[in-house]
Amino acid sequence: MQRRTLLTAAAAAPAILPFVARAQGTQKATLRLKWLAQTQFAGFYLAKARGYYEAEGIDLTINPGGPNLLTENLVATGADTFGLSGGTDSVFAAREKNLPVVCIGVSHQQTPFFFVTRADGPIRTLQDFKGKTVTTWYTGANYVLLGMLAKIGLKPGDFTMQPQQVSVTPFVEGQIDVVTATKYNEFYTLMTRMGREKLRTFVAEDEGITFPRDTLIVSETTARQKPETVRGFLRASIKGWRDALKDQKAGVDVVMAASPALDRAHQEFMLVEAGKLMTAGAAAQQGLFWIDDAAIRSAHDFLRQNDVIKQPVDLAKAYDGSFLAAIPVADRMA
Amino acid sequence: MPEPMDATSPLLELRGIDKTFGAVQAVRGLSLSVPAGEFVTVVGPSGCGKSTLFNMVAGLDEPDTGGAMRFKGRGCHARELLGRVSFMPQRDLLLPWRNVIDNAILANEIEGADRKTARAKALRMLPEFGLTGFEAQYPHQLSGGMRQRVALMRTFLFERELMLLDEPFGALDALTRSIMQRWLLDVWERHRRTVLFITHDVDEAIFLGDRVLVMTARPGAVKLALPVNLPRPRPAELVTSPEFIAIKREILAAIEEESMKSFQSSGMAA
Amino acid sequence: MSGAVALPAPRGAAGLRRAAPVLMGLGRLVLGLGIAAAVWEGAVLGFGIRPEYLPRLSAILSTIAATPEAYAAGFLRTALETLIGFAAGVAVGVLNGVLFLRAPVLRDMLFPVFVVSQTIPVIAFGALVVLWFGNTLLAKAVIAFYLTFFPVTVNTLVGLQSVDPRQMALLRSFGATGRQVLLRLLLPSALPQIFVALRLGASLSLVGAIVGEWFGDTTGLGVILLQAMYTEQVTVMWAAILCAAVLGTGFYALVALAERYLVFWGAEA
Repeated sequence: MQRRTLLTAAAAAPAILPFVARAQGTQKATLRLKWLAQTQFAGFYLAKARGYYEAEGIDLTINPGGPNLLTENLVATGADTFGLSGGTDSVFAAREKNLPVVCIGVSHQQTPFFFVTRADGPIRTLQDFKGKTVTTWYTGANYVLLGMLAKIGLKPGDFTMQPQQVSVTPFVEGQIDVVTATKYNEFYTLMTRMGREKLRTFVAEDEGITFPRDTLIVSETTARQKPETVRGFLRASIKGWRDALKDQKAGVDVVMAASPALDRAHQEFMLVEAGKLMTAGAAAQQGLFWIDDAAIRSAHDFLRQNDVIKQPVDLAKAYDGSFLAAIPVADRMA
Repeated sequence: MPEPMDATSPLLELRGIDKTFGAVQAVRGLSLSVPAGEFVTVVGPSGCGKSTLFNMVAGLDEPDTGGAMRFKGRGCHARELLGRVSFMPQRDLLLPWRNVIDNAILANEIEGADRKTARAKALRMLPEFGLTGFEAQYPHQLSGGMRQRVALMRTFLFERELMLLDEPFGALDALTRSIMQRWLLDVWERHRRTVLFITHDVDEAIFLGDRVLVMTARPGAVKLALPVNLPRPRPAELVTSPEFIAIKREILAAIEEESMKSFQSSGMAA
Repeated sequence: MSGAVALPAPRGAAGLRRAAPVLMGLGRLVLGLGIAAAVWEGAVLGFGIRPEYLPRLSAILSTIAATPEAYAAGFLRTALETLIGFAAGVAVGVLNGVLFLRAPVLRDMLFPVFVVSQTIPVIAFGALVVLWFGNTLLAKAVIAFYLTFFPVTVNTLVGLQSVDPRQMALLRSFGATGRQVLLRLLLPSALPQIFVALRLGASLSLVGAIVGEWFGDTTGLGVILLQAMYTEQVTVMWAAILCAAVLGTGFYALVALAERYLVFWGAEA
């Protein structure tokens, strides 16, 4: 019996050895965010600060994003290991361009932005958008707007759509009628400058459109060659996010330490809103970063109908829930 | 390194030198010889190839094949003369970022002399060149005459047997020029270098030279070599003496003839 | 100046004489800045300009005072990127100029490539640099370098080519080697031209560093600027702009000062 165990161990040793070596020496990896440090990413910063990645054998560097940076490109070329990219829309676009990226988790389960009008203004329903001026981002939000209005029978010519600049000031000044705002950023500025009660919001989900965003991606190579690292990264990230959502002060602190010039109140608000988006929909039952096939399919079909993506994308290849599935659901719950 | 030198042979000798730039023949069959210690002046109508002659002797331009160039009795290429004659071009060409002393020692610095020693030597020379107290001034702070003296000092400090001066006083006003001429003779008599001096001013050529070479119109060659047997040191009023006038008349006649030639040929070409 | 009569001043006095206008200039600068600050503050208050358009200077300064370490760190980081990129751009630019002068074949081969490189928008170039160098200080310095080296190359070449050929001939007649001609004549002669590019490069390299920081970075004035822009923290944005202005002006002034001391002879023919 004892001899047998020894023999088995001896036979297995060469096979085990590389794994042992890898577990002992941490390996370097980077996470490219979709934007600069802010509490929209608090969980990742907290996981790093608390050594969760290290515990998984990953020496993780968090690289902030910025305008004109396409996370999909950086991950596909191997410049970055992991990426928190634009959203389901940008993953479709990348796959359509044959960029070998795979989505391993979805952060924001619902459309993270909405359309805002003045509560005391003439726009009370979507029908009232007719003849009005709307500004929006031409990076996906424009299709959501077109889709929402198409559902109630408005055509592109029925209203004026303009690209939205960085500032919401033109809306505050009354120069435009409808502005697009993320629930966690622009909406905060609108509230502080105008007051929540002065604002009316139009949500995509009310029209049956959903647009999950902030997708975690890796390259196909990483997914194939280092599944254990990918799982470890997800485990650590989820742990960090659970901490950040439970102890929001810690989540805000860690981001403020990285970027002290940020406005704390704004960041506190952002974390609350990010938490809502991350635990909405199917994530309420399935936990953080859940890939909701139905929502993905719906976003895909919507973009396909609007001819934003020219060819159907193979969703099974673009979205891989297996890494997430390796983590017990109880450990994924926020 | 000591070089064998035939005491009887001239310091510089040119025999049948040609120089062509593209289609233009600047110099044809030019021959001259400059014995050691002599002050030779060169005059001629404008465009007669005086500067071409100088550039060749300075080593900057190689003559066409065929002629012979001898320095210290040895046949040589023009480029071998680089660094062996001390050359002063028409303009002072001082470097604006160097003060008087450092401009004066430029050539010494290039030949690798110790800067400190060279500066000390230059400092001692300042009074002789009328530059006492100006050692730290920069060229833009100096008058034209002073700049020219700095350039001359640079030429003198670069101690070579042959000095080439190309119209050094051409840009100066008449009064300053005549002061500079007498001063140059003064300095020359003390240092006794062999000098080849270009000018377009006949008075200057006679006043300074032991011998005046008159050049033909282009293509340039030596038309006339006239010894100036006037005693030294030469006083300013020498220029009005009958002997001086006689030499001047002869030179002017030769130049006149050449000027007419070049005038006619250009007239015909037009 | 009647040089023949005036007694030449010894070096020390000349130094003092040169320092006096600098001090006076400094006094005028401080006075000018004071007036500008007062006008700024007064205009915002007097005309009731809303902070979204232009916050009061005092509000901006107190924003900086609230988290000075953030601005200090950003300032230092951006300054370092600017300086490294600038220094590399100047070194490579001058080297290129010399190389192109000595080897016209190389100039004919490489110059068009340089021109094409400069037509790439810095935004596109930045995306490439991040792919190549990642989010390192080097990446930002490379963008600053990219904006600096070309004007320096061009101006060095122009400066070197405009050297008086008679001056070249004079040095050659002294038996000067190519190296001696380069160091004692060509480079000093080209210095006024080179400094024109250096002054341009001082501003461009800062722009390069800040734009570089927009391709994802953790520290820097560009990071603060971008963050503030998208979260509409107007005073923070202005604070970053103010820091960048101080950095840019300071750097430019240093280059101009160096020029005044090195190219003291002015544009003399």
